[in-house]
Amino acid sequence: MLQTPESGGLPVPQAEGEKDGGHDGETRAPTASQERPKEELGAGREEGAAEPALTRKGARALAAKALARRRAYRRLNRTVAELVQFLLVKDKKKSPITRSEMVKYVIGDLKILFPDIIARAAEHLRYVFGFELKQFDRKHHTYILINKLKPLEEEEEEEDLGGDGPRLGLLMMILGLIYMRGNSAREAQVWEMLRRLGVQPSKYHFLFGYPKRLIMEDFVQQRYLSYRRVPHTNPPEYEFSWGPRSHLEISKMKVLGFVAKLHKKEPQHWPVQYREALADEADRARAKARAEASMRARASARAGIHLW
Amino acid sequence: MQGSTRRMGVMTDVHRRFLQLLMTHGVLEEWDVKRLQRHCYKVHDRNATVDKLEDFINNINSVLESLYIEIKRGVTEDDGRPIYALVNLATTSISKMATDFAENELDLFRKALELIIDSETGFASSTNILNLVDQLKGKKMRKKEAEQVLQKYVQNKWLIEKEGEFTLHGRAILEMEQYIRETYPDAVKICNICHSLLIQGQSCETCGIRMHLPCVAKYFQSNAEPRCPHCNDYWPHEIPKVFDPEKERESGVLKSNKKSLRSRQH
Repeated sequence: MLQTPESGGLPVPQAEGEKDGGHDGETRAPTASQERPKEELGAGREEGAAEPALTRKGARALAAKALARRRAYRRLNRTVAELVQFLLVKDKKKSPITRSEMVKYVIGDLKILFPDIIARAAEHLRYVFGFELKQFDRKHHTYILINKLKPLEEEEEEEDLGGDGPRLGLLMMILGLIYMRGNSAREAQVWEMLRRLGVQPSKYHFLFGYPKRLIMEDFVQQRYLSYRRVPHTNPPEYEFSWGPRSHLEISKMKVLGFVAKLHKKEPQHWPVQYREALADEADRARAKARAEASMRARASARAGIHLW
Repeated sequence: MQGSTRRMGVMTDVHRRFLQLLMTHGVLEEWDVKRLQRHCYKVHDRNATVDKLEDFINNINSVLESLYIEIKRGVTEDDGRPIYALVNLATTSISKMATDFAENELDLFRKALELIIDSETGFASSTNILNLVDQLKGKKMRKKEAEQVLQKYVQNKWLIEKEGEFTLHGRAILEMEQYIRETYPDAVKICNICHSLLIQGQSCETCGIRMHLPCVAKYFQSNAEPRCPHCNDYWPHEIPKVFDPEKERESGVLKSNKKSLRSRQH
Protein backbone atom coordinates (compact mmCIF):
# COMPACT_ATOMS: atom_id res chain seq x y z
CA MET A 1 0.00 0.00 0.00
CA LEU A 2 2.88 2.37 0.63
CA GLN A 3 4.64 4.13 -2.19
CA THR A 4 8.39 4.51 -2.28
CA PRO A 5 9.56 7.84 -0.87
CA GLU A 6 10.12 10.50 -3.46
CA SER A 7 12.68 13.23 -3.47
CA GLY A 8 11.70 16.66 -2.38
CA GLY A 9 10.79 18.17 0.92
CA LEU A 10 7.79 17.22 2.92
CA PRO A 11 4.93 19.64 2.93
CA VAL A 12 4.39 21.71 6.02
CA PRO A 13 1.46 20.65 8.17
CA GLN A 14 -1.65 22.68 7.64
CA ALA A 15 -2.50 25.60 9.86
CA GLU A 16 -4.75 24.91 12.79
CA GLY A 17 -8.42 25.19 11.99
CA GLU A 18 -8.17 24.22 8.32
CA LYS A 19 -10.90 21.69 7.80
CA ASP A 20 -11.46 21.18 4.15
CA GLY A 21 -9.88 17.82 3.32
CA GLY A 22 -7.87 17.61 0.15
CA HIS A 23 -10.23 19.40 -2.18
CA ASP A 24 -8.75 22.82 -2.59
CA GLY A 25 -5.15 21.86 -3.11
CA GLU A 26 -3.99 25.02 -4.73
CA THR A 27 -4.78 27.39 -1.88
CA ARG A 28 -2.11 25.79 0.25
CA ALA A 29 1.51 26.25 -0.70
CA PRO A 30 3.70 24.46 1.81
CA THR A 31 7.39 25.27 1.93
CA ALA A 32 9.76 22.65 0.69
CA SER A 33 12.40 23.13 3.32
CA GLN A 34 13.79 19.90 4.71
CA GLU A 35 15.60 21.42 7.66
CA ARG A 36 12.45 22.73 9.31
CA PRO A 37 10.16 19.73 9.65
CA LYS A 38 7.31 21.52 11.37
CA GLU A 39 5.99 25.06 11.22
CA GLU A 40 3.28 26.61 13.33
CA LEU A 41 0.35 28.80 12.34
CA GLY A 42 0.63 31.05 9.36
CA ALA A 43 3.37 29.07 7.65
CA GLY A 44 1.20 28.41 4.64
CA ARG A 45 2.35 31.45 2.73
CA GLU A 46 4.52 31.13 -0.38
CA GLU A 47 8.06 32.16 0.49
CA GLY A 48 8.64 34.07 -2.71
CA ALA A 49 7.89 37.55 -1.41
CA ALA A 50 11.43 38.84 -1.61
CA GLU A 51 12.79 36.90 -4.68
CA PRO A 52 15.02 38.87 -7.02
CA ALA A 53 14.41 38.92 -10.80
CA LEU A 54 14.58 35.37 -12.18
CA THR A 55 17.55 34.10 -14.16
CA ARG A 56 17.13 31.00 -16.31
CA LYS A 57 18.89 28.90 -13.68
CA GLY A 58 16.76 30.50 -11.01
CA ALA A 59 13.60 29.75 -12.97
CA ARG A 60 14.60 26.11 -13.40
CA ALA A 61 15.37 25.79 -9.70
CA LEU A 62 12.04 27.35 -8.83
CA ALA A 63 10.23 25.01 -11.24
CA ALA A 64 11.99 22.01 -9.73
CA LYS A 65 10.99 23.15 -6.27
CA ALA A 66 7.41 23.59 -7.37
CA LEU A 67 7.37 20.12 -8.92
CA ALA A 68 8.77 18.59 -5.76
CA ARG A 69 6.16 20.43 -3.72
CA ARG A 70 3.37 19.15 -5.94
CA ARG A 71 4.70 15.59 -5.77
CA ALA A 72 4.97 15.74 -2.01
CA TYR A 73 1.49 17.19 -1.80
CA ARG A 74 0.09 14.46 -4.03
CA ARG A 75 1.79 11.89 -1.89
CA LEU A 76 0.25 13.39 1.21
CA ASN A 77 -3.19 13.31 -0.41
CA ARG A 78 -2.70 9.69 -1.42
CA THR A 79 -1.77 8.78 2.13
CA VAL A 80 -4.83 10.53 3.51
CA ALA A 81 -7.00 8.66 0.99
CA GLU A 82 -5.40 5.33 1.94
CA LEU A 83 -5.91 6.05 5.60
CA VAL A 84 -9.60 6.77 5.01
CA GLN A 85 -10.02 3.44 3.22
CA PHE A 86 -8.01 1.64 5.88
CA LEU A 87 -10.20 3.05 8.64
CA LEU A 88 -13.40 2.18 6.79
CA VAL A 89 -12.35 -1.39 6.15
CA LYS A 90 -11.07 -1.86 9.69
CA ASP A 91 -14.22 -0.40 11.17
CA LYS A 92 -16.34 -2.79 9.18
CA LYS A 93 -14.86 -5.49 11.37
CA LYS A 94 -15.73 -3.32 14.34
CA SER A 95 -12.36 -3.76 15.99
CA PRO A 96 -10.80 -0.55 17.37
CA ILE A 97 -7.89 0.75 15.31
CA THR A 98 -4.61 1.69 16.94
CA ARG A 99 -2.29 4.47 15.93
CA SER A 100 0.57 2.01 15.53
CA GLU A 101 -1.46 -0.02 13.04
CA MET A 102 -2.15 3.09 11.02
CA VAL A 103 1.51 4.01 10.99
CA LYS A 104 2.59 0.49 10.15
CA TYR A 105 0.17 -0.16 7.28
CA VAL A 106 -0.53 3.25 5.81
CA ILE A 107 1.46 6.21 7.04
CA GLY A 108 4.97 4.82 7.19
CA ASP A 109 7.68 7.42 7.08
CA LEU A 110 5.20 10.29 7.00
CA LYS A 111 4.73 9.47 10.66
CA ILE A 112 5.74 12.95 11.74
CA LEU A 113 2.69 14.30 9.94
CA PHE A 114 0.35 11.90 11.70
CA PRO A 115 -1.77 14.59 13.42
CA ASP A 116 -2.35 16.41 10.17
CA ILE A 117 -3.03 13.25 8.17
CA ILE A 118 -5.48 11.90 10.67
CA ALA A 119 -7.24 15.26 10.98
CA ARG A 120 -7.77 15.38 7.22
CA ALA A 121 -8.85 11.76 7.11
CA ALA A 122 -11.34 12.51 9.89
CA GLU A 123 -12.75 15.39 7.90
CA HIS A 124 -13.24 13.20 4.83
CA LEU A 125 -14.91 10.56 6.95
CA ARG A 126 -17.23 13.15 8.38
CA TYR A 127 -18.10 15.00 5.18
CA VAL A 128 -18.23 12.12 2.73
CA PHE A 129 -19.44 9.20 4.82
CA GLY A 130 -21.02 10.71 7.92
CA PHE A 131 -18.68 8.98 10.37
CA GLU A 132 -16.98 10.58 13.33
CA LEU A 133 -13.50 9.36 14.12
CA LYS A 134 -13.41 9.15 17.87
CA GLN A 135 -10.43 8.55 20.03
CA PHE A 136 -11.67 5.68 22.06
CA ASP A 137 -8.81 5.23 24.45
CA ARG A 138 -6.48 8.13 25.00
CA LYS A 139 -3.76 6.11 26.67
CA HIS A 140 -3.47 3.45 23.98
CA HIS A 141 -4.29 5.71 21.04
CA THR A 142 -7.16 3.60 19.75
CA TYR A 143 -9.90 4.93 17.53
CA ILE A 144 -13.36 3.90 16.39
CA LEU A 145 -15.83 5.27 13.90
CA ILE A 146 -19.21 6.41 15.13
CA ASN A 147 -22.12 6.84 12.77
CA LYS A 148 -23.27 10.46 12.88
CA LEU A 149 -26.30 9.96 10.64
CA LYS A 150 -29.55 10.22 12.51
CA PRO A 151 -30.72 6.90 13.92
CA LEU A 152 -33.63 5.33 12.07
CA GLU A 153 -37.24 5.08 13.11
CA GLU A 154 -38.86 1.69 13.53
CA GLU A 155 -40.36 1.39 10.05
CA GLU A 156 -37.29 2.88 8.42
CA GLU A 157 -35.10 0.27 10.01
CA GLU A 158 -36.89 -2.50 8.17
CA GLU A 159 -35.98 -0.97 4.84
CA ASP A 160 -32.38 -0.40 5.68
CA LEU A 161 -31.22 -3.63 4.02
CA GLY A 162 -28.62 -3.94 6.74
CA GLY A 163 -26.18 -6.76 6.14
CA ASP A 164 -25.33 -7.40 9.74
CA GLY A 165 -28.87 -8.25 10.81
CA PRO A 166 -28.73 -11.69 12.37
CA ARG A 167 -25.47 -11.20 14.24
CA LEU A 168 -26.62 -7.93 15.73
CA GLY A 169 -29.92 -9.58 16.60
CA LEU A 170 -28.02 -12.19 18.53
CA LEU A 171 -26.04 -9.48 20.26
CA MET A 172 -29.26 -7.71 21.23
CA MET A 173 -30.58 -10.89 22.81
CA ILE A 174 -27.43 -11.14 24.91
CA LEU A 175 -27.42 -7.45 25.84
CA GLY A 176 -31.07 -7.82 26.81
CA LEU A 177 -30.35 -10.82 29.00
CA ILE A 178 -27.46 -9.01 30.67
CA TYR A 179 -29.53 -5.90 31.34
CA MET A 180 -32.53 -7.74 32.75
CA ARG A 181 -30.26 -9.67 35.10
CA GLY A 182 -28.92 -6.50 36.66
CA ASN A 183 -26.15 -5.61 34.17
CA SER A 184 -24.25 -8.86 34.27
CA ALA A 185 -25.07 -12.43 33.31
CA ARG A 186 -23.18 -15.63 33.99
CA GLU A 187 -21.72 -17.34 30.97
CA ALA A 188 -23.82 -20.42 31.70
CA GLN A 189 -27.01 -18.36 31.56
CA VAL A 190 -26.10 -16.92 28.18
CA TRP A 191 -25.52 -20.35 26.66
CA GLU A 192 -28.69 -21.65 28.28
CA MET A 193 -30.71 -18.92 26.60
CA LEU A 194 -29.07 -19.57 23.24
CA ARG A 195 -29.62 -23.30 23.50
CA ARG A 196 -33.31 -22.62 23.95
CA LEU A 197 -33.15 -20.73 20.65
CA GLY A 198 -31.54 -23.70 18.97
CA VAL A 199 -28.03 -22.29 18.95
CA GLN A 200 -25.25 -24.60 20.13
CA PRO A 201 -21.92 -23.00 21.08
CA SER A 202 -19.62 -25.06 18.90
CA LYS A 203 -21.96 -26.18 16.16
CA TYR A 204 -21.79 -24.22 12.90
CA HIS A 205 -24.93 -22.09 12.51
CA PHE A 206 -26.03 -20.97 9.07
CA LEU A 207 -26.62 -17.40 10.26
CA PHE A 208 -24.00 -16.90 12.96
CA GLY A 209 -21.15 -19.14 11.91
CA TYR A 210 -19.54 -20.59 15.01
CA PRO A 211 -21.52 -18.96 17.86
CA LYS A 212 -18.85 -19.54 20.47
CA ARG A 213 -16.26 -17.76 18.32
CA LEU A 214 -18.69 -14.98 17.48
CA ILE A 215 -19.54 -14.26 21.09
CA MET A 216 -16.32 -15.02 22.94
CA GLU A 217 -13.94 -13.58 20.35
CA ASP A 218 -15.64 -11.21 17.94
CA PHE A 219 -18.10 -9.50 20.27
CA VAL A 220 -15.54 -9.20 23.05
CA GLN A 221 -12.79 -7.93 20.74
CA GLN A 222 -15.18 -5.45 19.21
CA ARG A 223 -15.90 -4.23 22.75
CA TYR A 224 -19.60 -5.01 22.50
CA LEU A 225 -19.29 -7.40 25.44
CA SER A 226 -16.99 -7.58 28.44
CA TYR A 227 -15.99 -10.97 29.73
CA ARG A 228 -14.73 -11.28 33.31
CA ARG A 229 -14.02 -13.93 35.82
CA VAL A 230 -16.36 -13.88 38.78
CA PRO A 231 -14.24 -13.52 41.92
CA HIS A 232 -14.29 -16.21 44.61
CA THR A 233 -15.78 -18.87 42.37
CA ASN A 234 -14.29 -22.31 42.34
CA PRO A 235 -14.40 -23.87 39.80
CA PRO A 236 -13.98 -20.44 38.16
CA GLU A 237 -17.09 -18.95 36.62
CA TYR A 238 -17.25 -16.12 34.13
CA GLU A 239 -19.75 -13.41 33.44
CA PHE A 240 -20.67 -11.08 30.59
CA SER A 241 -21.55 -7.42 30.85
CA TRP A 242 -22.05 -4.65 28.32
CA GLY A 243 -18.81 -3.57 26.68
CA PRO A 244 -17.91 0.11 26.20
CA ARG A 245 -18.98 0.03 22.56
CA SER A 246 -22.46 -1.14 23.49
CA HIS A 247 -22.79 1.78 25.87
CA LEU A 248 -21.79 4.11 23.05
CA GLU A 249 -23.96 2.64 20.34
CA ILE A 250 -27.15 1.67 22.12
CA SER A 251 -29.14 2.74 25.16
CA LYS A 252 -30.70 0.81 28.01
CA MET A 253 -34.09 2.13 26.98
CA LYS A 254 -33.70 0.73 23.49
CA VAL A 255 -32.65 -2.67 24.79
CA LEU A 256 -35.52 -2.69 27.28
CA GLY A 257 -37.85 -1.86 24.43
CA PHE A 258 -36.47 -4.80 22.48
CA VAL A 259 -36.98 -7.19 25.40
CA ALA A 260 -40.48 -5.81 26.01
CA LYS A 261 -41.42 -6.43 22.40
CA LEU A 262 -40.17 -10.00 22.60
CA HIS A 263 -42.46 -10.63 25.56
CA LYS A 264 -45.32 -8.63 24.02
CA LYS A 265 -45.38 -6.30 27.03
CA GLU A 266 -44.68 -2.66 27.76
CA PRO A 267 -41.25 -1.55 29.10
CA GLN A 268 -42.98 -0.34 32.25
CA HIS A 269 -43.76 -3.97 33.06
CA TRP A 270 -40.30 -4.13 34.64
CA PRO A 271 -40.28 -1.10 36.97
CA VAL A 272 -36.71 -1.50 38.19
CA GLN A 273 -35.21 -1.73 34.73
CA TYR A 274 -37.54 0.97 33.47
CA ARG A 275 -36.40 3.42 36.14
CA GLU A 276 -32.79 2.59 35.41
CA ALA A 277 -33.37 3.16 31.70
CA LEU A 278 -35.00 6.53 32.36
CA ALA A 279 -32.02 7.60 34.47
CA ASP A 280 -29.71 6.48 31.67
CA GLU A 281 -31.68 8.57 29.16
CA ALA A 282 -31.35 11.62 31.39
CA ASP A 283 -27.60 11.08 31.69
CA ARG A 284 -27.23 10.79 27.94
CA ALA A 285 -29.23 13.95 27.32
CA ARG A 286 -27.03 15.85 29.77
CA ALA A 287 -23.83 14.53 28.23
CA LYS A 288 -25.06 15.42 24.76
CA ALA A 289 -25.93 18.97 25.82
CA ARG A 290 -22.52 19.40 27.40
CA ALA A 291 -20.75 18.09 24.28
CA GLU A 292 -22.73 20.40 22.02
CA ALA A 293 -22.00 23.40 24.21
CA SER A 294 -18.27 22.76 24.23
CA MET A 295 -18.28 22.17 20.46
CA ARG A 296 -19.95 25.53 19.95
CA ALA A 297 -17.40 27.17 22.19
CA ARG A 298 -14.53 25.60 20.27
CA ALA A 299 -16.02 26.58 16.93
CA SER A 300 -16.34 30.22 17.92
CA ALA A 301 -12.79 30.20 19.29
CA ARG A 302 -11.51 28.79 16.02
CA ALA A 303 -13.44 31.38 14.05
CA GLY A 304 -11.70 34.01 16.12
CA ILE A 305 -8.21 32.98 15.02
CA HIS A 306 -9.11 32.14 11.41
CA LEU A 307 -6.53 34.01 9.38
CA TRP A 308 -7.54 33.56 5.75
CA MET B 1 -6.84 15.37 -10.92
CA GLN B 2 -5.17 17.40 -8.19
CA GLY B 3 -6.55 20.87 -7.70
CA SER B 4 -8.85 20.53 -10.70
CA THR B 5 -11.34 23.29 -11.22
CA ARG B 6 -14.12 20.83 -12.00
CA ARG B 7 -17.15 21.64 -9.89
CA MET B 8 -17.44 19.10 -7.14
CA GLY B 9 -20.73 17.67 -6.02
CA VAL B 10 -22.30 18.26 -2.65
CA MET B 11 -22.78 15.56 -0.06
CA THR B 12 -25.89 15.50 2.06
CA ASP B 13 -27.08 12.90 4.54
CA VAL B 14 -29.02 11.30 1.68
CA HIS B 15 -25.76 10.60 -0.14
CA ARG B 16 -23.93 9.62 3.05
CA ARG B 17 -26.44 7.00 4.05
CA PHE B 18 -26.45 5.68 0.50
CA LEU B 19 -22.68 5.32 0.61
CA GLN B 20 -22.72 3.67 4.01
CA LEU B 21 -25.28 1.11 2.97
CA LEU B 22 -23.60 0.40 -0.35
CA MET B 23 -20.37 -0.21 1.57
CA THR B 24 -22.12 -2.54 3.98
CA HIS B 25 -23.39 -4.70 1.15
CA GLY B 26 -20.23 -4.61 -0.93
CA VAL B 27 -22.17 -5.02 -4.15
CA LEU B 28 -25.83 -4.49 -5.07
CA GLU B 29 -28.01 -5.10 -8.10
CA GLU B 30 -29.45 -2.07 -9.83
CA TRP B 31 -32.95 -2.73 -8.61
CA ASP B 32 -31.72 -2.80 -5.00
CA VAL B 33 -29.64 0.31 -5.61
CA LYS B 34 -32.69 2.23 -6.80
CA ARG B 35 -34.62 1.04 -3.80
CA LEU B 36 -31.76 2.06 -1.55
CA GLN B 37 -31.67 5.50 -3.11
CA ARG B 38 -35.42 5.97 -2.54
CA HIS B 39 -35.00 4.79 1.05
CA CYS B 40 -32.25 7.33 1.71
CA TYR B 41 -34.38 10.15 0.34
CA LYS B 42 -37.32 9.01 2.43
CA VAL B 43 -35.23 9.03 5.60
CA HIS B 44 -33.37 12.31 5.16
CA ASP B 45 -35.20 14.46 2.63
CA ARG B 46 -38.75 13.30 2.26
CA ASN B 47 -40.02 16.10 0.05
CA ALA B 48 -37.17 16.28 -2.43
CA THR B 49 -37.50 14.77 -5.88
CA VAL B 50 -35.35 11.70 -6.27
CA ASP B 51 -32.43 12.39 -8.62
CA LYS B 52 -31.98 10.19 -11.66
CA LEU B 53 -29.73 7.36 -10.47
CA GLU B 54 -26.96 8.14 -12.95
CA ASP B 55 -26.80 11.79 -11.86
CA PHE B 56 -27.02 10.82 -8.22
CA ILE B 57 -24.05 8.51 -8.56
CA ASN B 58 -22.03 10.90 -10.69
CA ASN B 59 -22.51 13.53 -8.01
CA ILE B 60 -21.17 11.21 -5.33
CA ASN B 61 -18.31 10.08 -7.56
CA SER B 62 -17.14 13.65 -8.08
CA VAL B 63 -16.74 13.91 -4.31
CA LEU B 64 -15.09 10.50 -4.03
CA GLU B 65 -12.53 11.35 -6.68
CA SER B 66 -10.09 12.92 -4.23
CA LEU B 67 -10.23 9.71 -2.20
CA TYR B 68 -9.32 7.54 -5.20
CA ILE B 69 -12.52 5.51 -5.00
CA GLU B 70 -15.68 5.44 -7.08
CA ILE B 71 -19.05 3.75 -7.40
CA LYS B 72 -18.65 1.57 -10.45
CA ARG B 73 -21.36 -0.02 -12.55
CA GLY B 74 -20.86 -3.40 -14.12
CA VAL B 75 -22.86 -6.29 -15.43
CA THR B 76 -22.99 -9.90 -14.21
CA GLU B 77 -21.33 -12.26 -16.63
CA ASP B 78 -23.96 -14.97 -16.53
CA ASP B 79 -27.19 -13.05 -17.10
CA GLY B 80 -26.33 -9.43 -17.69
CA ARG B 81 -27.78 -7.95 -14.50
CA PRO B 82 -26.39 -4.49 -13.76
CA ILE B 83 -24.52 -4.30 -10.45
CA TYR B 84 -22.86 -1.53 -8.48
CA ALA B 85 -19.90 -1.60 -6.12
CA LEU B 86 -17.59 0.87 -4.42
CA VAL B 87 -14.15 0.23 -5.89
CA ASN B 88 -10.61 1.43 -5.37
CA LEU B 89 -9.23 3.42 -8.27
CA ALA B 90 -5.63 3.30 -7.20
CA THR B 91 -5.34 -0.26 -6.08
CA THR B 92 -2.66 -2.49 -7.44
CA SER B 93 -3.42 -5.47 -5.23
CA ILE B 94 -6.29 -7.20 -3.55
CA SER B 95 -5.95 -4.70 -0.74
CA LYS B 96 -9.59 -4.48 0.22
CA MET B 97 -9.51 -8.08 1.29
CA ALA B 98 -6.18 -7.81 3.00
CA THR B 99 -7.56 -6.78 6.35
CA ASP B 100 -10.41 -9.28 6.33
CA PHE B 101 -8.43 -12.40 5.56
CA ALA B 102 -5.26 -14.03 6.86
CA GLU B 103 -2.18 -14.51 4.72
CA ASN B 104 -2.90 -18.14 3.89
CA GLU B 105 -6.54 -17.30 3.13
CA LEU B 106 -5.48 -14.59 0.69
CA ASP B 107 -3.10 -17.01 -0.94
CA LEU B 108 -5.92 -19.53 -1.31
CA PHE B 109 -7.90 -16.87 -3.15
CA ARG B 110 -4.94 -16.14 -5.37
CA LYS B 111 -4.60 -19.84 -6.23
CA ALA B 112 -8.32 -20.09 -6.99
CA LEU B 113 -8.09 -16.94 -9.10
CA GLU B 114 -5.26 -18.39 -11.17
CA LEU B 115 -7.15 -21.63 -11.77
CA ILE B 116 -10.24 -19.65 -12.78
CA ILE B 117 -8.31 -17.47 -15.22
CA ASP B 118 -6.53 -20.44 -16.76
CA SER B 119 -9.67 -22.52 -17.12
CA GLU B 120 -11.61 -22.83 -20.35
CA THR B 121 -15.00 -22.32 -18.73
CA GLY B 122 -14.09 -19.68 -16.19
CA PHE B 123 -14.78 -22.14 -13.38
CA ALA B 124 -12.34 -23.94 -11.10
CA SER B 125 -13.45 -27.11 -9.36
CA SER B 126 -13.41 -27.30 -5.59
CA THR B 127 -11.20 -30.39 -5.80
CA ASN B 128 -8.54 -28.66 -7.88
CA ILE B 129 -8.45 -25.68 -5.55
CA LEU B 130 -8.25 -27.80 -2.42
CA ASN B 131 -5.42 -29.84 -3.90
CA LEU B 132 -3.28 -26.72 -3.78
CA VAL B 133 -3.70 -26.31 -0.04
CA ASP B 134 -0.17 -27.55 0.65
CA GLN B 135 1.35 -24.81 -1.47
CA LEU B 136 -0.14 -21.93 0.47
CA LYS B 137 1.96 -19.24 2.08
CA GLY B 138 1.58 -18.63 5.77
CA LYS B 139 0.09 -20.93 8.38
CA LYS B 140 -0.64 -24.48 7.27
CA MET B 141 -4.27 -25.00 6.28
CA ARG B 142 -6.21 -28.25 6.19
CA LYS B 143 -8.59 -29.06 3.34
CA LYS B 144 -11.58 -28.92 5.67
CA GLU B 145 -10.55 -25.44 6.73
CA ALA B 146 -10.00 -24.40 3.13
CA GLU B 147 -13.58 -25.42 2.32
CA GLN B 148 -14.78 -23.03 5.02
CA VAL B 149 -12.56 -20.26 3.71
CA LEU B 150 -13.98 -20.70 0.22
CA GLN B 151 -17.46 -20.40 1.74
CA LYS B 152 -16.36 -17.21 3.45
CA TYR B 153 -15.34 -15.82 0.06
CA VAL B 154 -18.73 -16.77 -1.33
CA GLN B 155 -20.53 -15.11 1.57
CA ASN B 156 -18.49 -11.94 1.14
CA LYS B 157 -19.26 -11.98 -2.57
CA TRP B 158 -15.78 -12.44 -3.96
CA LEU B 159 -16.54 -15.89 -5.39
CA ILE B 160 -19.65 -17.58 -6.76
CA GLU B 161 -20.21 -21.31 -6.35
CA LYS B 162 -22.15 -23.44 -8.82
CA GLU B 163 -22.33 -27.20 -8.35
CA GLY B 164 -18.98 -27.52 -6.65
CA GLU B 165 -17.18 -25.15 -8.98
CA PHE B 166 -16.04 -21.61 -8.29
CA THR B 167 -15.85 -18.49 -10.41
CA LEU B 168 -15.38 -14.79 -9.71
CA HIS B 169 -18.31 -12.79 -8.37
CA GLY B 170 -19.20 -9.72 -10.43
CA ARG B 171 -17.91 -7.65 -7.54
CA ALA B 172 -14.46 -9.20 -7.77
CA ILE B 173 -14.34 -8.51 -11.49
CA LEU B 174 -15.38 -4.88 -10.96
CA GLU B 175 -12.88 -4.39 -8.21
CA MET B 176 -9.94 -6.34 -9.54
CA GLU B 177 -10.08 -6.12 -13.32
CA GLN B 178 -7.12 -3.78 -13.52
CA TYR B 179 -5.10 -5.87 -11.08
CA ILE B 180 -5.90 -9.08 -12.96
CA ARG B 181 -4.99 -7.65 -16.35
CA GLU B 182 -1.69 -6.32 -14.99
CA THR B 183 -0.79 -9.49 -13.09
CA TYR B 184 -1.78 -12.12 -15.65
CA PRO B 185 -1.42 -10.33 -18.99
CA ASP B 186 -0.82 -13.51 -20.98
CA ALA B 187 -3.52 -15.64 -19.42
CA VAL B 188 -6.46 -13.21 -19.34
CA LYS B 189 -9.27 -13.47 -21.85
CA ILE B 190 -10.89 -10.37 -23.29
CA CYS B 191 -14.36 -9.95 -24.77
CA ASN B 192 -14.31 -9.18 -28.47
CA ILE B 193 -17.27 -6.82 -28.16
CA CYS B 194 -16.71 -4.73 -25.03
CA HIS B 195 -12.95 -5.35 -24.65
CA SER B 196 -13.26 -5.89 -20.90
CA LEU B 197 -11.95 -8.77 -18.86
CA LEU B 198 -13.76 -12.03 -19.61
CA ILE B 199 -14.04 -14.91 -17.17
CA GLN B 200 -17.19 -16.67 -18.43
CA GLY B 201 -18.43 -16.42 -21.97
CA GLN B 202 -18.91 -18.05 -25.35
CA SER B 203 -16.16 -18.62 -27.89
CA CYS B 204 -16.03 -19.08 -31.62
CA GLU B 205 -14.99 -22.63 -32.41
CA THR B 206 -13.21 -21.58 -35.57
CA CYS B 207 -11.16 -18.53 -34.67
CA GLY B 208 -11.31 -18.62 -30.90
CA ILE B 209 -12.55 -15.10 -30.12
CA ARG B 210 -14.65 -14.79 -27.00
CA MET B 211 -17.69 -12.80 -25.95
CA HIS B 212 -19.54 -12.25 -22.70
CA LEU B 213 -23.00 -13.82 -22.59
CA PRO B 214 -24.72 -10.43 -22.21
CA CYS B 215 -22.55 -9.07 -25.04
CA VAL B 216 -23.61 -12.01 -27.23
CA ALA B 217 -27.23 -11.30 -26.32
CA LYS B 218 -26.97 -7.67 -27.33
CA TYR B 219 -24.87 -8.24 -30.45
CA PHE B 220 -27.05 -10.94 -31.91
CA GLN B 221 -30.35 -9.51 -30.74
CA SER B 222 -33.06 -10.33 -33.29
CA ASN B 223 -30.50 -11.75 -35.67
CA ALA B 224 -31.79 -14.95 -37.27
CA GLU B 225 -28.38 -16.06 -38.50
CA PRO B 226 -25.76 -15.19 -35.92
CA ARG B 227 -22.21 -15.13 -37.33
CA CYS B 228 -18.88 -14.63 -35.67
CA PRO B 229 -17.90 -10.92 -35.90
CA HIS B 230 -14.28 -11.90 -36.54
CA CYS B 231 -14.26 -14.85 -38.97
CA ASN B 232 -17.91 -14.78 -40.09
CA ASP B 233 -18.40 -18.45 -39.36
CA TYR B 234 -21.77 -19.60 -38.08
CA TRP B 235 -22.07 -18.94 -34.33
CA PRO B 236 -22.83 -22.37 -32.85
CA HIS B 237 -24.04 -21.49 -29.36
CA GLU B 238 -27.45 -20.69 -27.97
CA ILE B 239 -28.02 -16.94 -27.97
CA PRO B 240 -29.11 -15.76 -24.51
CA LYS B 241 -31.84 -13.17 -24.01
CA VAL B 242 -31.04 -9.55 -23.25
CA PHE B 243 -31.62 -8.75 -19.57
CA ASP B 244 -34.95 -6.98 -19.12
CA PRO B 245 -35.54 -5.59 -15.61
CA GLU B 246 -39.27 -5.20 -16.23
CA LYS B 247 -39.71 -8.86 -17.15
CA GLU B 248 -37.76 -9.84 -14.04
CA ARG B 249 -40.15 -8.02 -11.79
CA GLU B 250 -43.23 -9.49 -13.46
CA SER B 251 -42.07 -13.04 -13.08
CA GLY B 252 -41.65 -12.39 -9.37
CA VAL B 253 -37.98 -13.29 -9.35
CA LEU B 254 -37.16 -10.13 -7.44
CA LYS B 255 -38.81 -10.60 -4.10
CA SER B 256 -40.59 -7.57 -2.77
CA ASN B 257 -40.75 -9.10 0.66
CA LYS B 258 -38.18 -7.25 2.75
CA LYS B 259 -37.49 -10.15 5.08
CA SER B 260 -36.43 -12.54 2.39
CA LEU B 261 -34.30 -9.84 0.80
CA ARG B 262 -32.43 -9.49 4.04
CA SER B 263 -31.78 -13.18 4.42
CA ARG B 264 -30.65 -13.41 0.81
CA GLN B 265 -27.69 -11.19 1.59
CA HIS B 266 -26.14 -14.05 3.50
